[in-house]
Amino acid sequence: MAAKLNASESLDCSDSSSSNDQSVSNRSSNRVAEKERRKNEAEDPFVLALKYFSDVEAGTPHQGNDDFENNLALVEKVAYSRGLPPEAISIMLEFAMSLRMGTSPVVRVLKCLIPASVVPQDAIVRAVVWLGISKITAGTQVLFIKWVLTIFDMIDAKDQLRAVYGFIFSFVTDENLCPFICHLLYLLTRKESVRVFRVRKLLDLQSKLGRQPFLLHLLSLYKVFCPELVTLSIPSRMRSGFRNHNSPWKSTLIIVQKRNGSQLASIVNPAVTLKDKTSSRKRKHWHLEIPALSSAVNKGAQTEPSRRKVVPLVQIQSFAQLLENMHRVELPAQMGSLLGSSLALQYLDCVQDESALLRLNFWLGYALHEEFLFCSDGGASQNSEEALQLLDKLLSAHHFLQEGFSSSEAFLYKFLNVWDGSLLRPQILGLLSNIPVVPSSQIGQLLFEPLMQLFFTSSPFFKCGLMESLNNMLRKWLTWHSVYALEDDLDISLNSHTSINMTLSGFKDSVMELVHFVGRLATIGLQLEGCHSLLFNFILDFYETVCDMFLKYGLPLIVMPPTGVFYPALFATDPVSVDRLAYIMYRYKVNLTSAKSQEKLTEQAFHISRQTFREFNNYLVFMVNCLWNSKMIHLGTDIQLGEELLLKSNVPQYWASFDLIHHPAFMNYAVDFHRRCWPGRKDMDINSIKHSKPWGWYLEYLFTQGYDGLKLFIQSNISRQLPAGDGQGDKLSTDER
Amino acid sequence: MERHQTSVTRTPLNSVVVQRRSKSKSYRQSYRSCLGATSRLGFTPALTAQRLNASRRAPKSHDITKKVNPEHLNLLMKTEWQLSYVTPLYQFRHTQLKSYSRQLSAFIAAEKQQGFAVEVDGSHSFRVSFSVVQGMVETDHDAETILIQIHSSPAFARQDEPQKSVWRGCLTCINGNPDYIHSLLKDFICLPLFGSSGPQGLTSLVKSWFQQTFDCYFGPLEISNTSLQWLVALWTNCHTESNIQHLKMIWTLPAVPPLQVTYSVNPEDAWELWSSVRKAHQEENEGGEKAKDEAIVDIEEVMRFMQCLKSHFYRHFRLDLSAGSLDQVSTALGSAKSNGRIKILNSKYMITTLTLLTECALLKMPI
Repeated sequence: MAAKLNASESLDCSDSSSSNDQSVSNRSSNRVAEKERRKNEAEDPFVLALKYFSDVEAGTPHQGNDDFENNLALVEKVAYSRGLPPEAISIMLEFAMSLRMGTSPVVRVLKCLIPASVVPQDAIVRAVVWLGISKITAGTQVLFIKWVLTIFDMIDAKDQLRAVYGFIFSFVTDENLCPFICHLLYLLTRKESVRVFRVRKLLDLQSKLGRQPFLLHLLSLYKVFCPELVTLSIPSRMRSGFRNHNSPWKSTLIIVQKRNGSQLASIVNPAVTLKDKTSSRKRKHWHLEIPALSSAVNKGAQTEPSRRKVVPLVQIQSFAQLLENMHRVELPAQMGSLLGSSLALQYLDCVQDESALLRLNFWLGYALHEEFLFCSDGGASQNSEEALQLLDKLLSAHHFLQEGFSSSEAFLYKFLNVWDGSLLRPQILGLLSNIPVVPSSQIGQLLFEPLMQLFFTSSPFFKCGLMESLNNMLRKWLTWHSVYALEDDLDISLNSHTSINMTLSGFKDSVMELVHFVGRLATIGLQLEGCHSLLFNFILDFYETVCDMFLKYGLPLIVMPPTGVFYPALFATDPVSVDRLAYIMYRYKVNLTSAKSQEKLTEQAFHISRQTFREFNNYLVFMVNCLWNSKMIHLGTDIQLGEELLLKSNVPQYWASFDLIHHPAFMNYAVDFHRRCWPGRKDMDINSIKHSKPWGWYLEYLFTQGYDGLKLFIQSNISRQLPAGDGQGDKLSTDER
Repeated sequence: MERHQTSVTRTPLNSVVVQRRSKSKSYRQSYRSCLGATSRLGFTPALTAQRLNASRRAPKSHDITKKVNPEHLNLLMKTEWQLSYVTPLYQFRHTQLKSYSRQLSAFIAAEKQQGFAVEVDGSHSFRVSFSVVQGMVETDHDAETILIQIHSSPAFARQDEPQKSVWRGCLTCINGNPDYIHSLLKDFICLPLFGSSGPQGLTSLVKSWFQQTFDCYFGPLEISNTSLQWLVALWTNCHTESNIQHLKMIWTLPAVPPLQVTYSVNPEDAWELWSSVRKAHQEENEGGEKAKDEAIVDIEEVMRFMQCLKSHFYRHFRLDLSAGSLDQVSTALGSAKSNGRIKILNSKYMITTLTLLTECALLKMPI
């Protein structure tokens, strides 16, 4: 690539020569090399051939002209193998279009104009001028325009071409050229080029030629730029774009480009798509169709006084363009169209235009209501591809904006009451998790009642999905809080769009309601599903969020899990649940201690109720006793199990059956450890692990199995006194109050 | 295969208010049907917190002929409107109607000859006119009613032949919920009730032009069971002032094959029954509010009235109409069908009917 550029640079100064790839060795070419190269070039037959074509006098006959024949053959050879350098293109095009040797060689020359890199636009402009004055046959004219269309993306600049837009436009009246000129104009058109007289001209043509796709495409582009000048409706089923005319050059171009390892954009494929395929959808689901992005027609009223220049959003293609035109972007006629474009959403998010957002919400709410609630087509389209696509788009917009639209929230409150829990479940649960903070006075009626019904009547997988969704919801609420809460002014505006203003205590109430609600669901859900381990996993996920509310999100609120979650997790048969519970308890401890120290530090800090501390301590003591001390001590806790009842169960040493060795979740580790520790022993006595030394090793062994939660829990809560006997001397370091 | 069973019964004069177990479906349920399949929740967080009013003013003879251009009134009446609800119109200006007329006719022309572009100012076979129906408002926050007419010259018309009116539509808001209207930004005009009459094709063209121009959306508006029952009562209530001629109700019962019952009541009998229901209700509610009660009709009265009509029918035909649904109501004042078609025949009581329908349309608003 570098070599090639170098070559074309040198060509600019040595007027009548051409490139020779081999002659350019590297960038550090000194004067001697330069001279040498020039000499080589002068002798290069290709350069000489080009010289011939640029110097040949007008009127030279071509028939029986051996010089011409040889030189053209040489140029063709180079063109078909490596492509022609820019200068060569200029020379050959000039030669052909000026008809210096009559009309017959033109086609042959045009066909071999395969650019190696770029095409200088001067050459095109000159050729277009020749098109106007010389007597080129109609077929050849068409061929030339086809060639221009084919190599359009390779033209180095387009400003001069655009400058002669009017001149090119004048060719539309030519019946043969019209389709191709329209295509070329389509590629060149800018807002400035759309003029009333041109629109008139095209309309005239249309009335003469009938509804031709090329005219329509050009007109529709005019409409995009100046909707007030063109009233046109695009047929719903229009062939997409212009036809490709690159057939004479296509294969060669591909070969040449491949050979040159060209990084130029792939071959011109200027076919435009006006509407994407989805527009040909069945009429039935019209309410699901996201409106097309089109500029507003009816702007007379609003911009008349200060007719500042505006840029319709439809014309903005890149983020850079958006930044450039930020101050003068014109919103589209139908805001619903924004949903499909991330660029547009970006703009919307940035400007926070209330009425624009309201328009979007009206459309969205309308579409959702019609589809899922009013079921105007008898529910036939439910579960359809369109509904799925709409919700997916909506979700990705939510994801992009990191908040939900108020209309989808309003829709959900209604829809949850009639939802069967299976229709488009992932999408609906996704929307659910985007619901912004609901005031605690309404949260029960709006969310909990319908969700509770759904939860208790559905499969464990739905329960898992709902848990995940509620966890995400809580996380989003907490994130909003940590972003928007201001230190001194505790009033937080949580969602700028729905403008729900909330006090900190209001927010705390809502979070507390949600956490308690999930606690209830989890308790009963675990019972219903027999401690389904997947469900457990999702529930513990939720509590992993809950236990860290203070440290991670700065929310002065600590809520303990209910007994219905804590005990099943502690007695779970899979070690993962126990491990995760241990981690959660560890995080609770960290949060509580730091909250307490902060309370001591700053007088006005929040006050954690004694009840929370008591609950935590009870859990902690029980857990440590159970896992570590082989004791089942209930310190005035919520759960009371009669001693005699336990005795009646005939479990020997029932108090020890949930220590780290006998716990059903860890028993197999204990057995495995025993085997490794005492490989020779025939009779297994896992109680021997309890001795101080093997106990230490056993813990180490457990930790290496990846039970980090357990490790953190034990390290933070139990200070081991190494010389102690059987672990009984280990101390609890809880912060009892 | 529908069995039609028509019965014209006379209501006994000494008809007693019969209380039955299945007195009526709870109101809440009927609201649900008003919202289509929606929930019992009227609450949506951002803007609306409304449901169908449980009580409304008894229709007073309202001589709007003085306020409203009789020509417009004529157009509004005697047309069977197919109803839709419309979300608020963005940047609709009552001052721009001329330009809208031009744009819409160009749009229709363009759509009609798909693919052919049309100049904005060219002459078309379709002429659209937008006009304001002055005086068709009840309160200050109601936006003025808009009447749209489309005229067209017949295919082989002579030059001088006048264009024929082929399509008519109106956008209106009568007694719209002020809270809702005020909650909208000022760029939005709330005209939630859209009635159209004419070929379907033109209706959908007009709708799509509105959607593209004002970023608003149209959905079908059915007239719910409750609303129809309201109309039965409200229209009957007018009988003394303006003869309702007949009270005809069509019910569909979920039998196989479906049973359609046409139930016509003598206007005098209907009125007798209605006034007895009113009296009984007012006696029940004896206590300070009597003066106010005169003008207010309560949903309980409506339900009781309907219940009496049903129980009378049951006594004669052993057919419980509450198992079915009310499909159609008609009196000399107008007719309404559950599929959202309404015809108003007497201008005096137009406002009351439109108020009810505006309410129904507002209930359908997505936010």
